[in-house]
Amino acid sequence: MKKNFFIIFVYIFFIQFFINHSYTVEPEEMLKNQEQELRARKISKNIRCMVCQNQSIDESDAPLAKDLRMLIRNKIIKGQNDTEIYKFLSDRYGDFILLKPPLKSSTLALWFLPIIFFIIGILVIFNHTKKSKKI
Amino acid sequence: MKIQLAKVPVVIFLSILLVFFYLLTIDRNPSKIPSNLLNKNVPYFETKNLIKDEIFISKKEFGKEVILVNFFATWCEPCRNEHRYIKNFATKKKLKIIGINYKDNPNKTKKWLEELGNPYSDIPLDKKGEIAIDWGVYGIPETFIVNSKGIIKYRHVGPVTEKIYKEIDLLINKIE
Repeated sequence: MKKNFFIIFVYIFFIQFFINHSYTVEPEEMLKNQEQELRARKISKNIRCMVCQNQSIDESDAPLAKDLRMLIRNKIIKGQNDTEIYKFLSDRYGDFILLKPPLKSSTLALWFLPIIFFIIGILVIFNHTKKSKKI
Repeated sequence: MKIQLAKVPVVIFLSILLVFFYLLTIDRNPSKIPSNLLNKNVPYFETKNLIKDEIFISKKEFGKEVILVNFFATWCEPCRNEHRYIKNFATKKKLKIIGINYKDNPNKTKKWLEELGNPYSDIPLDKKGEIAIDWGVYGIPETFIVNSKGIIKYRHVGPVTEKIYKEIDLLINKIE
């Protein structure tokens, strides 16, 4: 019985694994140059779909996501580098379009608060264990 | 000291809870994103004009007076719903309105305007949606106010409703 559960669990886990890695790039969108296509995919994975907002444009099938995927590929063909492409998009849609927000004065809290919370947590646990040892 | 340190997570937790509660109570739409183009110049573009024979060149049109820019399409139902407000801006407020026709069929647009009325002085065609991307548009209808210096001063994502109509009406008087 336990073994069956384990098999089902592994099965579901793998299905989930592949679902999460599905993408919506259509064949006609793809660039012939493999290296350029990989670059486009990498950039697309870091760009938020403004329509769905919780997906990258690489996963989203919204028309705007497709337009942006095509735009990125056109810019790659024209010889623009990744920084130029990211800048083009964030100039128009703001930093919100980047799934990984840049380190700026306005995002300091976002980047460092988790570390600060983590340190506080460690200190609290450390103090707590010290106290319980004494008892 | 030790007791104080133990209180820290509780205090942090309560303050986070307070912030979340505050954000829940205020009137806001978290999916709306402020425009990155606010207080910036109108993006340059040139394209065909549905109602005039000449090519629409943004540089020539903006920078003379306050202009309302409305991204619309005939296939978009909310655009139909907001159209009466857009018409009011043209007829009652005598505002110049440029309607950017997003990914649409020109013949359908002409019929649509015949049926609903045309409040637009120009209708640049954005067949591929490239102009919309330059304006940071992500969900049509979208409405912008451009001041007489050609700078974007306001943006609204989604249809103009009674509330938004009043909001824009108040703003127009302040924008020069």
